[in-house]
Amino acid sequence: MLIKIAHNYYYMVAILLFIIGMHTMLTHSNLIKKVIAMNIMDTAVFLLFVAVGYTYGGAAPIVTAPANEVLYVNPLPGSLMLTGIVVAVSITAYALSLIVKIYRFYGTVDYDEICLIRSQE
Amino acid sequence: MGEATAITIILFVIFFPIVMTPILMSASGRSEKLRNILALLTSAITFIMVLTLYPFVVRGDIIQHTFFEILPNLEISIRLDVLSFSLTALASFIWFLCAIYSLDYMAEEHGGSRYYPVLIFTLGSCLGIFLAGDFFTLFVFFELMSLISYILVVHEETEEALKAGYKYLVMTIIGGLALFFGIIITFELGGTVSLGVGTIINEGSLLALLAFICFLIGFGMKAGMFPLHVWLPDAHPVAPSPASALLSGVMLKTGAYGLFRVIFNAFSIEVMQTSNWDIILGVLAVITILLGSAVALTQNDIKRRLAYSSVGQMGYVLLGLSILNENAITGTMFHIFSHAFMKSCLFLAAGAIIWKTGKRAISDLGGIGREMPFTMGCFSIAALAMIGIPPLNGFLSKWTLGLGALDANATIYVLVLLISSLLNALYYLPIIVPAFFEIVGEDHHGHALQFDVQDATPKMLASMVILAICTIIFGLSPINIPFDLSQMTSDFLLRGGLF
Amino acid sequence: MGLTNHFPALILAILLGISFLSPILFRWVRKASAPALLLSLFLALVMAVYLLIQTTQVGEFSYYMGGWPPPWGIELKINLIRAYMLIVVLAVSLWIMVYALKDLEHELKTDVLGWYYTLYALVVASMAGMALTNDLFNLFVLMEICAISACAIISIKEDRACLEASFKYLILSAMGTGCFLLGVAMVYMVTGHMNYDLVNEYLPVAVEQYPNNMFAASALFIVAFGTKAALFPLHVWLPDAHASAPSPSSAMLSGLVIKIYAFGLFIVFYQIFPRSLLDSIPLNEIILWLSSMGIMFGSIFAMVQVDLKKMLAYSSIGQIGYVFLGIGLDDTIAMTGGFYHLLVHAIMKSMLFMCAGVIIYTTGIRQIKQLGGIGQVLPITMIAFTIGSASMIGIPGTGGLISKWYLALGALEIGRPIFVVIILASSLLNAIYYMPIIVNAFMQQEEFAYEVKAVPRQMLIPLIIGMIAIVFLGVFSRPVIVLLENGLQLFF
Repeated sequence: MLIKIAHNYYYMVAILLFIIGMHTMLTHSNLIKKVIAMNIMDTAVFLLFVAVGYTYGGAAPIVTAPANEVLYVNPLPGSLMLTGIVVAVSITAYALSLIVKIYRFYGTVDYDEICLIRSQE
Repeated sequence: MGEATAITIILFVIFFPIVMTPILMSASGRSEKLRNILALLTSAITFIMVLTLYPFVVRGDIIQHTFFEILPNLEISIRLDVLSFSLTALASFIWFLCAIYSLDYMAEEHGGSRYYPVLIFTLGSCLGIFLAGDFFTLFVFFELMSLISYILVVHEETEEALKAGYKYLVMTIIGGLALFFGIIITFELGGTVSLGVGTIINEGSLLALLAFICFLIGFGMKAGMFPLHVWLPDAHPVAPSPASALLSGVMLKTGAYGLFRVIFNAFSIEVMQTSNWDIILGVLAVITILLGSAVALTQNDIKRRLAYSSVGQMGYVLLGLSILNENAITGTMFHIFSHAFMKSCLFLAAGAIIWKTGKRAISDLGGIGREMPFTMGCFSIAALAMIGIPPLNGFLSKWTLGLGALDANATIYVLVLLISSLLNALYYLPIIVPAFFEIVGEDHHGHALQFDVQDATPKMLASMVILAICTIIFGLSPINIPFDLSQMTSDFLLRGGLF
Repeated sequence: MGLTNHFPALILAILLGISFLSPILFRWVRKASAPALLLSLFLALVMAVYLLIQTTQVGEFSYYMGGWPPPWGIELKINLIRAYMLIVVLAVSLWIMVYALKDLEHELKTDVLGWYYTLYALVVASMAGMALTNDLFNLFVLMEICAISACAIISIKEDRACLEASFKYLILSAMGTGCFLLGVAMVYMVTGHMNYDLVNEYLPVAVEQYPNNMFAASALFIVAFGTKAALFPLHVWLPDAHASAPSPSSAMLSGLVIKIYAFGLFIVFYQIFPRSLLDSIPLNEIILWLSSMGIMFGSIFAMVQVDLKKMLAYSSIGQIGYVFLGIGLDDTIAMTGGFYHLLVHAIMKSMLFMCAGVIIYTTGIRQIKQLGGIGQVLPITMIAFTIGSASMIGIPGTGGLISKWYLALGALEIGRPIFVVIILASSLLNAIYYMPIIVNAFMQQEEFAYEVKAVPRQMLIPLIIGMIAIVFLGVFSRPVIVLLENGLQLFF
């Protein structure tokens, strides 16, 4: 059992990162930290995907004419994750711009304080 | 005349008032007189058209026609048999009289432009209930009528009316949902909800019991059955008097009608009796009768007393439905007729008194009979009929019901009938006797008691007098059309309610 | 003939294209920007109808993006249910846009209008894409597009409440998409495919080999779609977001955006997951009880609200529960009811938010208790509100009854009458919080106490269309029901 886990340690690391990210995102009151946590969470998934696509001893999947017998790394997860990274970046950008606006309105980036201000209105 | 004619008439009867509603609305912008005449004409024409269906019914025809299916096996259809005809005729007749009465009554009230369209619309939807050919159509019209008549209940727009109206609305929606549940279960068990197939559910299972209870809640709520009567004594008195007369006289009967259909068309007498569901109904009926009559005793507001009396009287109808033999059903059916005549008359008379004097408390009404002899006379005749004095129609219905109870060896029910008659006497006589015999001068608080009023206007009197005459001639006279219809109905239903 | 083959892609292309063009048009030819958006929505709708007709004739068919068949390319798939979703999305968004033209002038600064059109077209495009796509990763990308643009049509209003609400929404939907992507990774690990049909083909073997993997994946999918669609108890973001947004955005979000994720869950459960997985893990049971709790609690929370739009938002939580109930009941009849409710609720909730929008536009009032007597000054709006509420309660003659009928019948069909009781109880709760508003609006004696602007005709016409649609759906439900029943047969 343990050996099995040790062999698949990259899955475990990815899941651990995902949980760290999710936990921070949901429990931390600092909005910037939430955004960072969101990125950690996304990155965890990207790592997992890329790890899934990796083949031991595989070469880079570049088409060269005669090399039929060479073992390739699966190119699909990597390319998909590029898209995923773009999406994550755009969400981060949007979230940060929202935080800037929120800071202008509330003068703080702490969610608890925002709630306090809103409850006093 | 063939079936096609009958279908056309039925459609006309249902949709003519509904179509007239927007016309009335626009007419009320132009002239009040035009609107009133149109409203009166609409109810009169509807009544006459309903009467033209009579030949079909005496021939024993049953008309069942499907227009289209909303969902598979769930259709919009109409049905005419002797049961639906009886109630349709009754409803349109009372509606016509109330429309006459409203002409003068509403002339000095506000919001006539809202009242008349709603009155006529409820007529259409009420007839739709009676002429529906399946439970779904019935449900649609039932909800339509219940929700629209909310506007009648809160017509006065006082705090009290709005409160009563809200109670009414919540109860109506609870009832509507229960009905919906019942209909769905029926549909699930039987694959149809049409009234044209005789018995939909042939055996009592747990689900069928659930359906029966849901129907009982839905229709019983409307019929003022204990413990769902709580909205009734609040809602009926606050409405304008012609509307109270309709609410008590006709709209309560839609609940009773629904129960008829449930017992005879969704289930059957055998199912009812083998599963002992008739006992549920019987117990509730007895409680309803005794409770309604007893609480009516304690009321001082005349319209509230009448409303509680309605609760008690509807108990008779339920009682007959729980006994389920020929005499009992005849009695129930006839009591639906007689109660409509009596209670409408009582509410209209009470309305006339309140309209003229502004007094609602019974203790203030001593001596009123001398000032308003005709109004009070009608009131007295109807009240005596309520108590069950021969030869008035109330006597005949109680007699037949009693016979039915004896046929079923249920002496206890006869006892209940007698006790409730006694209670009726106890709460109606203290209105009538002082009205005629108390010396006008001072009441027991020492306030001067002077009514400087004339009797009600001719139009108001006309409708009351007609109703009072109905209670007399439909008592023991040899030609008694309602009683014949009741007998036909019970005969028809006991043969299976099919063809 | 050549062009019609490309309709699935063209729908997306047109919507994405207009989203890029809108700001430019708004900058240079301001008058043309709104008509251009309406026109492109309309064109997309026409194409969607064409696709529906085509799929009734030839059955299910696919479109390969760029001519690459799966497993390499992205596949778009059209069958009856997808075409139905597509038409619902496009028709309702066109209808909301007609209303929005006037309302937005009031709620937004003029210079951001062009950007609003962009975001609006993006939301619609991503939802249309979600209805069409047959590829998990494509679905993920579209979900992210939808999440960003849906947050942005809230935060575009730029007041304190909107910003805070949209940030909350953004974080939670990022969590949702994160979970979704992780779930996709789990599925990809064991099957090596992203295409729905190929995944479905390989999953039965994979479920036996890696049951834990699929266990985790299904949990992640439920969390992902549940968060996005506000399935109880993952609904916390919804009330603030939907209540503070500009009214057309609220209509859009409550009417369509949460529905498309319910549709996503349906696709995952019934197209991707093999039957054996649904039978071995009680996924449907989870959905059933969560949705039932949502139905009850949504209505109960709605009862205590003082803000009209917030009440409507909480009501959405209850109503989306019906759609999930239909999915969870796992029965063709109930699912027909669920999908029918999806359409009916899209129309009625959008209409109710529009009514709220008209009230805010003309009087500036948001509180429920200030609405007494408003029926006299805004009769058509309040009649529309009444019809919408009647449909919520399930009064006969409105579409709400038909969907409840089917849901209840389905629940009885599989022998679970308890869910019928839940449906009816929530109808009663709906009545309890909708009725007082209507009664006060029409029956209040005193005059309406606030100043009232005239209602623009552009706002009234959509309301009238909505009223007609609700009544129409209540009376002539057959065509849609038949379509749904035929469409759902593919999944059973």
